[in-house]
Amino acid sequence: MINNLFAHPALPLVIGSLLIFLFKEKSNHISIISILISLFILIFITSNVDYVYMSNITAINYFSYSKLAYLFCLVFLIMGLIGKLFSIYRDSYKEKAMVLLYISSAIFVLFSGDFLTLYIFWEIMAIASTMVIWSNNSRESFSAGNRYLVMHLLGGMILLLGIIGLYVDTNDLQIRLLNLDTWYNWMILVGFLLNAGAPPFSQWIPDAYPEGSYSSTVFLSAYTTKTSVFILIVTFAGSHVLMLIGIYMIMYGIVYALLENDIRRILAYSIVNQVGFMIVGIGIGTELSINGTAAHAFSHILYKGLLLMSAGSVIYMINKRKCTDVGGLYKTMPITAICGIVGALAISAFPLTSGFISKSMIVDASIHEGMELIWLMLLVGSAGVFLHAGIKFPWFVFFHKDKKIITTDPPKYMKYAMIITSGICIFIGVWPELLYSILPYSVSFIPYTGNHVASQLHILLFSALAFFISLKYLERTLTITLDIDFLYRDKIKYIKILVNFMSNMTARSINYISFINLRKNFNSIENYLMKQTTVSVMLIIILITFTVSLIMNIS
Amino acid sequence: MNDRNKIIYILIVLINITPYLYVFYDFKKVSFNIDNAIGFYPIFGFIACIALIIIAKCLALILKKEDTYYD
Repeated sequence: MINNLFAHPALPLVIGSLLIFLFKEKSNHISIISILISLFILIFITSNVDYVYMSNITAINYFSYSKLAYLFCLVFLIMGLIGKLFSIYRDSYKEKAMVLLYISSAIFVLFSGDFLTLYIFWEIMAIASTMVIWSNNSRESFSAGNRYLVMHLLGGMILLLGIIGLYVDTNDLQIRLLNLDTWYNWMILVGFLLNAGAPPFSQWIPDAYPEGSYSSTVFLSAYTTKTSVFILIVTFAGSHVLMLIGIYMIMYGIVYALLENDIRRILAYSIVNQVGFMIVGIGIGTELSINGTAAHAFSHILYKGLLLMSAGSVIYMINKRKCTDVGGLYKTMPITAICGIVGALAISAFPLTSGFISKSMIVDASIHEGMELIWLMLLVGSAGVFLHAGIKFPWFVFFHKDKKIITTDPPKYMKYAMIITSGICIFIGVWPELLYSILPYSVSFIPYTGNHVASQLHILLFSALAFFISLKYLERTLTITLDIDFLYRDKIKYIKILVNFMSNMTARSINYISFINLRKNFNSIENYLMKQTTVSVMLIIILITFTVSLIMNIS
Repeated sequence: MNDRNKIIYILIVLINITPYLYVFYDFKKVSFNIDNAIGFYPIFGFIACIALIIIAKCLALILKKEDTYYD
């Protein structure tokens, strides 16, 4: 018997990330070797349950194996390996070490057996991913990382309060299916949903991810949201409120992506959209829909990685990130364009790609449950995905107006990474049985029926027609679209309004006592407040949440 | 002829093929009553996309700001 600590697939990654700090020049080798060791441990030791010693002696159950965790861990490691291949030319050992820590904390969350272990690695994941964003070393990435961290610490705090409530009430921290009948279960749900990019705070995904470096966005897109999808499957499968949240996320992603100009931000909005499909699947909660959600997460991680790698190649080669700055790149970057198009077809669930065989499971689950409205909404979502990611991304980047940009395809390892991922996307689409065999429940679903293929092709072709007919209205402009973040992002705005109001009032009332220059004084207060707000906002949020929890427990 | 017109021509050719997809379609295995009708999926997909674009454009009227809004 092997002790469960040594059979843990995340352990080589932690050791690897520490080793990178010692041997900075060998960071690529260390990353790839440690991920390969993890894959070996996962496939040959962890999945063979007889080998692994399960301990229930201590109260903390830091390791628990399930088929679902195996599936998610497998795709995490595959994506990690491909992403590491893609980021070989990235010259930042800190980013490489932090990415390994980020992946390992996500895997620790997958295999955690109780809520306390989950919470600890949940927070490590938030901090490690912030470090990954910060490693881009620009002013934008620093402030975006700050907002990301505050958002995740807030979510973590809500989650912690929920976990404390759960422990006080039931004296049992084991991860299990929860009902939405108590306040602490709601808090746990909110904590998890915040990481999945649920409303009203879906905004952190398109805000933070595109500010990472060209390579780190590939990793960022894969782990945080999908870990939260995993834990929602385990804890809240079948909660019908999730269906409504998922539908909102699908529509939100489409509408905002249609208005967006930044290439990677379009793809970040489509993460919200695709996670929306998964959340709907969790909300339906049948065996078919859970299988569909798990399969969709698997294929989503790969094709989203592919899309972001192709966008990352464009940014690496020509250092431009806006749709209005690029165009006509298919002539100079043919391989990037082909791989990007494969990813775009996969995300729009085109037959023979990985998206088709997973999304049709979720859509079929809604049919089996007789949920006609949800089904119609999923169809609108399927049409919209093709509109905003399936055509818009390749069209504005690789075709459209030729900007006569002189460049070539990226260096060889970046090309290999993209070609391998495209191959996997098509392979899963053509031979879905391999993916179906590792799903949590047994599968009797056949994706390639006449009805599925005919209806999907009909929807896709006519949404393409709708896109090109209304192309005039979809032309990109140098604009951004406001979101909920304008409430907290521009803190100085409130102070300015307040100071202006006060200074106006005082100036009027003491109009003729003009020997005090009030405006100047207020300006210095304004500057002082601006420095203090981040800390004070955090403190106020902590105080409010603790007061609320105290009041709720006061009886 | 620019890229957009080329693609519209290709699409029109493809769309002329779409009715033949109904050869593979089994009307006994429809999901709900609504998709029993010929042409439900194409028309629904098209209208959904146009509606999404209109919603997006309406939102843009209120929410669109200059690129340098936060700077």
